[in-house]
Amino acid sequence: MSTQNQNQNGYMLLFRGTDLRKGLSPEELQKVTDNWMNWFKRLTEEGKAVAGNPLEREGKIVAGKDRVVSDGPFAESKEAVGGYFLLDVATMDEAVAIARECPGLPYGIRVEVRPVAGECPIAADIRAEAQFAV
Amino acid sequence: MSTQNQNGYMLLYRSDEWYEALSHKELQKVINQNKAWIDRLTAQGKARPGHALERKGAIVSGKKGRVLSDGPFAESKEAIGGYLLLDVETLEEAIAIAQSSPSLAYGTSVEVRPLAEECPLDVRARELAREEQLVHA
Repeated sequence: MSTQNQNQNGYMLLFRGTDLRKGLSPEELQKVTDNWMNWFKRLTEEGKAVAGNPLEREGKIVAGKDRVVSDGPFAESKEAVGGYFLLDVATMDEAVAIARECPGLPYGIRVEVRPVAGECPIAADIRAEAQFAV
Repeated sequence: MSTQNQNGYMLLYRSDEWYEALSHKELQKVINQNKAWIDRLTAQGKARPGHALERKGAIVSGKKGRVLSDGPFAESKEAIGGYLLLDVETLEEAIAIAQSSPSLAYGTSVEVRPLAEECPLDVRARELAREEQLVHA
């Protein structure tokens, strides 16, 4: 594992796809949910997951200079975020290995794995620029 | 839509790397505004620590998670650039906070989502089980 891969701030898993429940029987759906809960519980016990939550399939989007509020397509969308985990692991490889265990994968869920920034990346950009300017 | 939620709300910030186009001075102004905004919300007990996400990462997909792809996490306007967790009880309050985000002026959009008390899959499984019972009754 390379050191470039290291991130002390952890990783965020974003679960994308909120349409997995289509076509599943209640028993199958219950099994996926139980597997998911057990997976989170194990990761928490191992100290690898520090937070996580499903999101309701509803919400709003605020956008534009006029701060317009609109409904978002949060139900039955392939891109919609259905929940997240925050992982306290130090490498991208480890975060990806955990993402690969996601019980929703066989049902079309995709897991986005993102390093959490220690400081705002925008501020880091400015500092780097300032260094070059000197 | 019920607007009360004891579990709080998540704000997801979506944007491309809009800050690449700003001058050093403009950028510093946005950073200061943003910091003051977050410090105020935190002091009021309305926001828990939030974070920006690095503009890189991976997407895992496929039945056994074998498909690994890169972003895009930089160019897309839909890419999530950061998040904030809010300890407020109503959607209206969460929306009002989202609307006060300094980065909106630069083209970001903010997704406001209630944190679920119970996994929506669980809720749906129970609904389906009830429907089946009705059919068989």
